[in-house]
Amino acid sequence: MFDGLIAFGHSIANFSTPQIIFYALLSSLVGVIMGALPGLTATMALALMTTLTLKLEPNQALLILICTYVGAIYGGSRSAILLNIPGTPASAASCLDGYALAKQGLAGRAMGIATTGSVLGTLIGMFFLAFFTPLLGNLALKFGAYEFFWLALFGVIIAGTLTGDDPLKGWIAGIFGLFIAGIGQEPQYGFERFSYGVRDLAGGIQLVPALVGAFGFAELLTAIKERQVPIKISAFDTVIPKIRDITKYWRTILRSGLIGTGVGIVPGVGEDVAAWSSYAAAKRSSAEKEMFGKGSVEGLMAAETGDNACVPGAIIPVLTLAIPGSAPAAVLMAAMIIHGVKPGPMIMIENPQFVYDVVAMMLFATIGILIYGLVLTKALVQVLRVPQNFLIPIIFVLCVVGSFAIAGRMFDVYVMLLFGLVGFGLRHFGYPMAPLVLGIVLGDLLEKNLRRALILSDGDISPFFTRPISAVVATLIFGTIAWKIWDLRNKKIAKEAS
Amino acid sequence: MSKGSPSSRSDLWGGFCWVALGSLILIESLRMERFDNMGATLYTYPGFVPGVISCVIVLLGLFMILRGMKSKVSTDSNAEPLINRRFVISLTCMLVFSLVLLAHAHFLVATALFVGAFTFLFANEALSLKKRLVSASINGVLSSCVVYFLFQEVFLVRLP
Repeated sequence: MFDGLIAFGHSIANFSTPQIIFYALLSSLVGVIMGALPGLTATMALALMTTLTLKLEPNQALLILICTYVGAIYGGSRSAILLNIPGTPASAASCLDGYALAKQGLAGRAMGIATTGSVLGTLIGMFFLAFFTPLLGNLALKFGAYEFFWLALFGVIIAGTLTGDDPLKGWIAGIFGLFIAGIGQEPQYGFERFSYGVRDLAGGIQLVPALVGAFGFAELLTAIKERQVPIKISAFDTVIPKIRDITKYWRTILRSGLIGTGVGIVPGVGEDVAAWSSYAAAKRSSAEKEMFGKGSVEGLMAAETGDNACVPGAIIPVLTLAIPGSAPAAVLMAAMIIHGVKPGPMIMIENPQFVYDVVAMMLFATIGILIYGLVLTKALVQVLRVPQNFLIPIIFVLCVVGSFAIAGRMFDVYVMLLFGLVGFGLRHFGYPMAPLVLGIVLGDLLEKNLRRALILSDGDISPFFTRPISAVVATLIFGTIAWKIWDLRNKKIAKEAS
Repeated sequence: MSKGSPSSRSDLWGGFCWVALGSLILIESLRMERFDNMGATLYTYPGFVPGVISCVIVLLGLFMILRGMKSKVSTDSNAEPLINRRFVISLTCMLVFSLVLLAHAHFLVATALFVGAFTFLFANEALSLKKRLVSASINGVLSSCVVYFLFQEVFLVRLP
């Protein structure tokens, strides 16, 4: 415990230089702006910033990415409250009560509550990040090939189940992602799969261009398809949060923080599920249920605390298992690998200080959003007025430059364009992108461990079900699938009956 | 069509596409080199995992077809079209920029041209032509210079 505190103190001391503080504040601001702009998501912001920070020191680059991540998830609340348009999917739950408060002339108060919830949510998540990562890291050391295979599959299945409206499409997207990960040289014999003589494909599909395409280019195409309606921003009062809102709803804050962090730890689920789960839990236990959806301070507080608490939560499995808890965390993991950090079970043995560095980065990000939430409200609101036709071409240029910058080859730009078009089409037909991304990220882990496990057991599949941890994860996977099929069946019967 | 709402027609077509893709992957996986001479077993064949994945894709595709056949026929009359005029124009601009302009012009020029043209084409039609032209030119020139400076000079990242 004290070792952890000392390590955290070291991290804070190391990061307390003017340059690092400048980077932290600037990247938090970039995150808040990108999160606030409808159509630009945290995943896209992270993918673009990954390419911008390629040449920086690993600690500086990762600090920038974590500040962008936290800032973007928080920034989404601005447009949710002022425009009734969630800046990021994570802020959709905030629209319900945030915009209702804005319509009552209380937009400033709503933004203050969003800031309070986000800051406290991140702090709660941070605590668990510092506390749980070493524990989970120790547990992960007991994992073998069987357990890692199931965990990779669990991430894809759970993301497919929870991130879209239709689990079948989610599962297909995830499995398709696993296939994409298999393109290029396979790990055992170096045999080139599905490359058809294209030399650039032999190395496989790079994650960042694929992500920039699926989340960046595809989002731009979706945004441009719809004509932008003239923006009408609600007038707002003071944004300074009231202490009463914190003391009155401390249970909601704590509960939402715990739910958000917990949802974050589950591989592949993400901030939007965290926000909705926290919101639903707050509504269930609230004494003012009838106010939810009509401007409930408690509802907004729950949603904002939940989604921001999910950010540190989503980083816990990245650090300990190399399995991302959300789509933006998948980009963060890719960036860590690019910068030479090896996330996974060995991190607490090989590089324990890094875990506390991440906690310190999270603290800087929290300070950043607190400052911008309280001070820069009016300036940030002006960003929402920038017309779409000014922003979209610039962001597309960043998508192209970012994809090119990873390896300095045009092939990655073509990959980005292809993934953008495929992603746009899949989105249109209701296929979620998060499981696809998780599939691409986890494909390698799944393949290596499946093959390793089968070689170890000489083709016997019983250890997949008899080893204790394996059995638990396998039960969770099959239980999730069975529950979802049962749930859909019930819904269909109820629909037919009505 | 609402996002993700199961419609029988898109399920049917989608299902067929996934079954076709899965089958193609399966055929390719079976055709892959097996390295038997190097002592490879079924689990170490390069095509083993893609083969398993392709079977799952085919299976899920078949489920989708089955679901599409079982659900009542939907004509998707309110379905939003996949593409419209704005989409086609913007996609054309983006492809011309990334595939043609970048290959034949300096980054600064290509970016200024693309950003300027895009801003102009999608500008608010209520504005006068002169205003649209001026604002598009300023956006084009400024953004290309800022992106160039930021990537090339500050973050030392290579540009196309």
